[in-house]
Amino acid sequence: MKARVWLRALAIVIVCLVIAMPVVWMIAAAFKTNVQVTDPSVGLWFTPTLENFRAVLADGEIVRSLGNSALVGVVSTVLSAVIAVPAAWAVGRFRMHSTGSLVLVARIVPAISLLVPWYYLFAQLGLVGSYTVLVLSHMFVSVPLILWIMIGFFEGLPVELEEAARTDGLSAFGAFLRIALPLAAPGTATASVLAFIFSWNNFMFALILSDEDTKTMPVTLFNFISYASTDWGGLMAAATLMTVPVLVAAVAGQKYLVAGLTAGATKG
Amino acid sequence: MATMTFERSNRRLRWLMLAPALGFVGLMIIFPLLFTLNLSLTDAFGAVNAGNSYHGVRNYADALADGRRFWPAVWRTVFFTIGAVVIETVLGLAIAMLLRRPFRGMRIVRSILMVPLLATPVAIGILWLLILDPTNGIANHLLGGLGIAPQEFLGSVSQSLPVLMLIDVWQWTPMMALLLLAGLSTLPEEPEEAARVDGATAWQRFRFVVLPMLMTTLMTALVLRAVDALKTFDILYATKGPGGGSDFEVETLNVYAYGLTFDYQEYGLASAVLVLFTLFIIGVVVLLRRRSGKASA
Amino acid sequence: MSDLRLAARPMTRRTLGTLLAAGAGATTLAACGTRGGTPGPNTPLRISAINHVWSQAVRERLPEFEEQIGRRVSMQLLTADQLANSYNVKLNASATDIDVMMVRALQEQLLFARNGWLADLTGLVGSDAGFAWSDFQDAPRERSVTRGKVLSVPVVTERPALYYRKDLMDAPPATLDALREAALDLTGDDLFGYVGRGQRSGAVTQWSSFLYSFGGDFTTPDGGSGIGSPEAVAAYRFYGELLDRAGPPGATNMSLEQAMPIFAQGKAAFYVDADAIYSNFLDEKISTVRDRVGFAPFPAGPAGSRPHNIPSWSLGINEFSRLRDDAWRFIRWVSGPEMVTTLQTAGIPGARSSVWADPATLASFPADLAEAMRINARNGVGIDRPAVIQVGRARDIVGRPLVAGILGQDVAPVAADAHAEFADFLVRDNRQQEF
Repeated sequence: MKARVWLRALAIVIVCLVIAMPVVWMIAAAFKTNVQVTDPSVGLWFTPTLENFRAVLADGEIVRSLGNSALVGVVSTVLSAVIAVPAAWAVGRFRMHSTGSLVLVARIVPAISLLVPWYYLFAQLGLVGSYTVLVLSHMFVSVPLILWIMIGFFEGLPVELEEAARTDGLSAFGAFLRIALPLAAPGTATASVLAFIFSWNNFMFALILSDEDTKTMPVTLFNFISYASTDWGGLMAAATLMTVPVLVAAVAGQKYLVAGLTAGATKG
Repeated sequence: MATMTFERSNRRLRWLMLAPALGFVGLMIIFPLLFTLNLSLTDAFGAVNAGNSYHGVRNYADALADGRRFWPAVWRTVFFTIGAVVIETVLGLAIAMLLRRPFRGMRIVRSILMVPLLATPVAIGILWLLILDPTNGIANHLLGGLGIAPQEFLGSVSQSLPVLMLIDVWQWTPMMALLLLAGLSTLPEEPEEAARVDGATAWQRFRFVVLPMLMTTLMTALVLRAVDALKTFDILYATKGPGGGSDFEVETLNVYAYGLTFDYQEYGLASAVLVLFTLFIIGVVVLLRRRSGKASA
Repeated sequence: MSDLRLAARPMTRRTLGTLLAAGAGATTLAACGTRGGTPGPNTPLRISAINHVWSQAVRERLPEFEEQIGRRVSMQLLTADQLANSYNVKLNASATDIDVMMVRALQEQLLFARNGWLADLTGLVGSDAGFAWSDFQDAPRERSVTRGKVLSVPVVTERPALYYRKDLMDAPPATLDALREAALDLTGDDLFGYVGRGQRSGAVTQWSSFLYSFGGDFTTPDGGSGIGSPEAVAAYRFYGELLDRAGPPGATNMSLEQAMPIFAQGKAAFYVDADAIYSNFLDEKISTVRDRVGFAPFPAGPAGSRPHNIPSWSLGINEFSRLRDDAWRFIRWVSGPEMVTTLQTAGIPGARSSVWADPATLASFPADLAEAMRINARNGVGIDRPAVIQVGRARDIVGRPLVAGILGQDVAPVAADAHAEFADFLVRDNRQQEF
């Protein structure tokens, strides 16, 4: 029995190492000189340098891209939550699950088939502002995501509280606003954090729809490869700057995020 | 349970609450779909609005008769998806079973499991380029330590797709494990207990008791993962560039459609390929769901 | 409009709610900064450019031009792929947020002309004596004209240079045979004899000089495929073998961005690529071979030395631009005699004959590079890729046998297959050229 416990512990450690090691390697590379990065015999024991981060943060383009990613992420997430949470409440309360399948449709369509028509449509509407199209395209991912997570959440909320509020003279909408919404705050926060992360990571939409002023971080990161293919240290520092906020969120809110990510999968 | 009065008085309200989200997603999907369907029946080339004329289903016929680019792209997509999803499911199931019983440090392990799926795919692609660099990468260095000859990895035509499949496995197996772990946590204890009393081995308990109960979750996870794997783009682009590799070795349907649209400007053909691709994904989803329906029945 | 039809019906509360929601959404979006109507004095002049030494040099000098026109200039620098993507997406929607477009006369111009995306500059270049349109070199100037209209003005020209390591040999090879021999000799444990582009599409332009020097061409005089000829197959075989036997591993994944650092870090003896990128090898941040790099003209093949000499990047004006006057003033400023002299003196080869004829502009180039450029320009062929409307697809077809050669496969069957595919393609492409 004792041996089995140790065996299991060993297996768990191996799994974690395999999963974490590449990312640890990336973060380590960010603190290496370029000579050390391209010398594989330099492992994880070396004198760290902050030079890469200094260079990256002095690069106006990277700082601006990080800002763009944050801006587009926040705006698209907030707008998505505003329209998706009430919709999720309606679906959850009134069991309109046909709309749930809408989520799957949004996931099925290949993004490439959307880009040119979107741009065309927004150009006709005179909406081809710099950030507008990006925000809308990211909302296309966020709205179904938040909807998906929140439907499960509202189904799990006991309806009696709202019913009681109704008998006290609140309208159904009032009950949603005063009772359901505050109770749904943690779920909304989880869904929003996930939506923000997926927006933060989105590459293809920005690749096509952004320009120099609105370029988000994933696109800038890719440019790095094309021009400065030798500056691995700077590249890894930029990638680390991009990944670390997300990792911090993952560790801090892991219980909620896992619940959000796995929402809907355990129901039939 | 909602009561009847609650139901009826709110028919209008529910639609009001739904309208913005439905309207938004609908507009963002329906217009492009119609636009794409319409283009796929034209000879649009160069510009989407430059005096195209309709020529029926010729683009579809051209695509389906194209053994040089279209069908190889289909097979690559199928190969990549099946390979990645099968490995991810098996490994994910194993890891989920491994982590099933509570232990100290579960929090840390769960955080680590979230890392690959929340990290930026483009950054992941670049990171693996560094790790797998044929001359300076740590991977060949480690292989050398084991006495294995250095590999070209992503620099090689024959190895690129399998290597990318393994990168995908690294990235998405933890997600699979998390989903299945969530599924396992909802299972009742009694059937397993009964099987244990009847003297079933651990493997028999897993195979005949746990797995059937887990089937619904497994299938849902499988559908979601398969849809995303079919559409993989970011890591392919970040590691092999937009052209799908020099010998088209990683040109999946998604990469091919991207090339037709943005490199060749053959909007008619690209639209037809995208429509076929979308139908293909829907087919996969329907097939898997039907299987899962049988499984849970 | 649907609004009118809606108004004709009695408005239910539901439609009102929907409209309100939609309206709220639209206002939020409109507030995110739309640009409509006529351009004001604060509207910037927008320039889409390739990230290239030329663009970086121009960007530094923008303030003086902004002063001249009293308008801010916003210049975005993108990779070639991203530049092409942004043109496709934006111009398909007739976007007005690009004024000056950096285009490749040999890659996009014909297609963009067919789409009606490039403004006609014929009157502008012709009417300005100080601009001296006739001062531009013949080949690039001819390439700027499509269907009798001037659609772009060339700003950067390129020829292939043979970059070699002076510390490893007495003199650079003068023939391709000598190059191969030396490259194979020098290949060792920590040195590749030769590095060059091996990516299917990216390699085609560099391979063109090998093709011409072997006596081949992309197309036959009557417009058929030329890549099945014995000369073309010999050129494929030569190039593939060179990279296969003397090149680095993973060469098929290499375009300019991957190949250049290998030579810059002292890991290769020879490298053939655009002469416009030479400054990388003199940049101490990138290069470890600054004092050991030599420059030579393209070596001679069976048909002599026939390198390409092409206008790699040109400037056009977006047909939908609302700032055409200022866009032209920018082109006039940046491609006029003074600026081209300034830029060429700073090491960026332009397209004006008078500037090339002035020895002072070449003084900043290393002497052997200036000489190599001069000789290559004299022997040069004015095109480095198939002259078709769908260059992207053509390059993918023409590049396949190259890749087969690099992978060590037998080139002949692949070339025969590509030849058949290319012949079909040319028939289709010709039909598209009727506009």
